[in-house]
Amino acid sequence: MPYQFDRLKVLVVDDNAHMRKLVVTILQAFGVSQVSEADNGEHAWVALREHNPDICVFDWMMEGMSGLDLVQKIRTDPQTPNPFVPVIMLTGHTHIDQVRQARDAGVNEFIAKPVSVKTMMQRLQSVIESPRPYVRTKVYFGPCRRRRGADEYRGPERREKKEAAA
Amino acid sequence: MARQQPIELFMPPNMLKAKLGGGTGTAGPDMAAIKRAEAALEQLHEEFAQWAASDVENLMAARARFGKTPDSGSRAALLRAAHDMKGQAATFDYPMIARVAGSLSKLIGELPEKRDLPLALVDAHVSAIHVIYRDKVMDESNKTAMVLAAELENQVAALLKS
Repeated sequence: MPYQFDRLKVLVVDDNAHMRKLVVTILQAFGVSQVSEADNGEHAWVALREHNPDICVFDWMMEGMSGLDLVQKIRTDPQTPNPFVPVIMLTGHTHIDQVRQARDAGVNEFIAKPVSVKTMMQRLQSVIESPRPYVRTKVYFGPCRRRRGADEYRGPERREKKEAAA
Repeated sequence: MARQQPIELFMPPNMLKAKLGGGTGTAGPDMAAIKRAEAALEQLHEEFAQWAASDVENLMAARARFGKTPDSGSRAALLRAAHDMKGQAATFDYPMIARVAGSLSKLIGELPEKRDLPLALVDAHVSAIHVIYRDKVMDESNKTAMVLAAELENQVAALLKS
């Protein structure tokens, strides 16, 4: 049975009007009727508090507050309406260091540009069907950065070392 | 191995799933929604030429601004213009523009701020993008464009190594 996307509230943030229209067109065709838009991080913060969206789709590179700054603010600011809101990051960045940087800011999913319809659907499904547990440490709050359950992890304890250093 | 670091791990209730109901489970994506979205993008396609033109104009304006006032703000604006093109030119049917813009993004984004941008190399990228757009080169296998893009990528790689 398909999702009832008409119940979904999505906030789309991109300083490029064309990319915003592209993403909004895809979402509306999926059936999402409650789409709010913002063209920068500051406006997004206002829209976020006004509409309290279920899912956010952010561009990374924007003038002023970047998508990455915005995610960190959502996860940690006391005024945030929902620190758990899933964030899908649209990005032209594909280097592993940049992906790690976004993951460490609290991003749930990525879409590498160019945006495709199938990828957008997959990422939406992922945040709906397979949400990750959340983690709170001294230096991080956000979705668990390990894809599988944290209890399954058998590798070196890098997080412990990082936190000790901090 | 026991995990002793002070972390709090918790799973919030899946309100999203409860709100949206249904779901496809293991049956795969909602193909009807995907087809609707692809059809909607096809309708939007008529606007892509205009959007590509606007992106080229933005890039040239950002380059002109950087020429007049070469500071960190205008450098960042030039990077954003190139980065936008890298991300969306392929959607607008200009894959070779996306490739050249990707090379320009790499140059601006990875060259340390303390080093001056080599304007000749920046301009070579901007000119290449302008020519690819002007000549409506939409074919990813266009030999001239491929040679040009490869040469620009090589020059950027060499500069970043130096």
